[in-house]
Amino acid sequence: MFLAWNEIKKNKLRFTLITGVLMLVSYLVFFLSGLATGLESLNRESVDKWEATAIILTEESDKSLPQSSMTLDELNGVDAKESAVIGQINAIAANGDQKNNVSIFGIEKDEFIMPNVTEGKEFSNTNEVIASDSLKEDGFKLGDNLQLSSTEERLTIVGFTDEARFNGAPVLYGDLSTFHRVKYGEAAELNADQINGIVVRTDGLSSITQNDALEVSEIETFIRNLPGYTEQNLTLNFMIYFLFAISSVIVAIFLYVLTVQKISMFGVMKAQGISNRYLSQSVIAQTFILAAIGVTVGFVLTLISGAFLPSAVPVSFDLATMILYGLILIIVAILGAVFSVLTIVKIDPLKAIGG
Amino acid sequence: MAILELNQVKKSFGTGHKKVEALKETNFQANKGELVAVIGPSGSGKSTFLTIAGGLQTPSSGDIIINNQNLTALNEKKRSKIRLKEIGFILQSSNLIPFLTVDMQMKLLDKVKKGNMTKEELEQLYEDLGIGDLRSKYPVDLSGGERQRAAIAKALYSNPSIILADEPTASLDSDRAYEVMELLKSETKNKNTTTIVVTHDIRLIGYCDKVYNMTDGVLTLEKEKQAVE
Repeated sequence: MFLAWNEIKKNKLRFTLITGVLMLVSYLVFFLSGLATGLESLNRESVDKWEATAIILTEESDKSLPQSSMTLDELNGVDAKESAVIGQINAIAANGDQKNNVSIFGIEKDEFIMPNVTEGKEFSNTNEVIASDSLKEDGFKLGDNLQLSSTEERLTIVGFTDEARFNGAPVLYGDLSTFHRVKYGEAAELNADQINGIVVRTDGLSSITQNDALEVSEIETFIRNLPGYTEQNLTLNFMIYFLFAISSVIVAIFLYVLTVQKISMFGVMKAQGISNRYLSQSVIAQTFILAAIGVTVGFVLTLISGAFLPSAVPVSFDLATMILYGLILIIVAILGAVFSVLTIVKIDPLKAIGG
Repeated sequence: MAILELNQVKKSFGTGHKKVEALKETNFQANKGELVAVIGPSGSGKSTFLTIAGGLQTPSSGDIIINNQNLTALNEKKRSKIRLKEIGFILQSSNLIPFLTVDMQMKLLDKVKKGNMTKEELEQLYEDLGIGDLRSKYPVDLSGGERQRAAIAKALYSNPSIILADEPTASLDSDRAYEVMELLKSETKNKNTTTIVVTHDIRLIGYCDKVYNMTDGVLTLEKEKQAVE
């Protein structure tokens, strides 16, 4: 640490440049991780809020909630600690001034997927809904009478709930009859037993249902099969992983160039009997200092930038993930220093001092 | 008592008709408290002799014994430990670390080795070398002579058994060169160490107990103390 820190103090500009590059890379990594978390939430936060174990859909729906269709009778064959029926349909909702994509969930009020109300009240009549509070940012408010794109039915917002977005759209929670009216219009009475799936909380998945036409999917599997979810996550995660590799290479190149410039100095120290171990530890310590400073500054900058972002940007910073990525960045930077360590080990003190 | 011995040491480079014998069979002994000079023209093998004696390169044959330890039988890691413990190098090119002040050069040695000079001894050394007011300066801020004196301080600071000096007065004016030789002589006598100076400056041999001459890789004892005086 002695050599490492004193060299940094003496060559501030040189090491500020390296730290700056590491800071920019970590800034990008943190931002991408925030974007990945934000987009994930956009797709799954309402499902996560259910705290469910699995969802039962028809086998032919291929784990797609809107494509699954069953009757309330299927609930009788379900063996689970808790179960909740759900109907789902997508629509465009307009309050006169604003239009927005929404996902309408038809549920039973007394079942466990009923959301908490953060503002207003629970729905108690048909065509009353509890809306995702993300709609408030788009100009929707309590009492709004919503016109829907695919039906003459109009819905009234009586309450708001938090963390209620599904597959990129804010959720409107209503009762099953509301869902049937929106989906079937005048034929609602005839389809009063129609639902899309059954959400369950239970211990084991194998014995939930014996019906071959139904398929039990773990919640995580169900989410992974949401349209575009996996592809989007893979893309962002690959970008993050590439950035890890890039930061390692950047550090490796910088430190290697610095080490090559200092070959004769290392040679002199080796001639004096200073061990490879001490010199290698010094390079590793130096890398750690640079990476830790770069990552910390990147971390702080990310949080500051995040505070000024418009709400339309789907960024959500998960501190645990950011700390994990920060540690990974420091580790890959240290791995990048290995080339320099190998170079130091190979230095022949005799050649280095010109003997 | 011999602290450094070279027994039948040879060093050659290349093979076949390209083989060059940089150091022909050499037997050498330096005792505690001796200041020894090895003089000779450029390319005569003086540096080869010094680097072999310091364990920086291995001989083609023969044994190097420092403080009863045969360096030839040891690997680089162990030789490195012996260099740190037993030898102080004063190199022709400055052996200072560019990003450390003169004081920090000594602190670095404290980090890697115990048994270095005390604060008071270091103060005295700075005074003897005339670099007391340069302790906070970086090598880049020193003149060639000042750098060389700081390098000498660094070599002496670790209280080595053997000091190997390659042209230690090369960047110094005559007065300073004599002062440095006086200092090396007093360090050698007072601390009962052994100093081997490789130089082509024959004015310095008056300070030495033994003078060897190196010509075409052959080392011969020219003079001993009585003869010089």
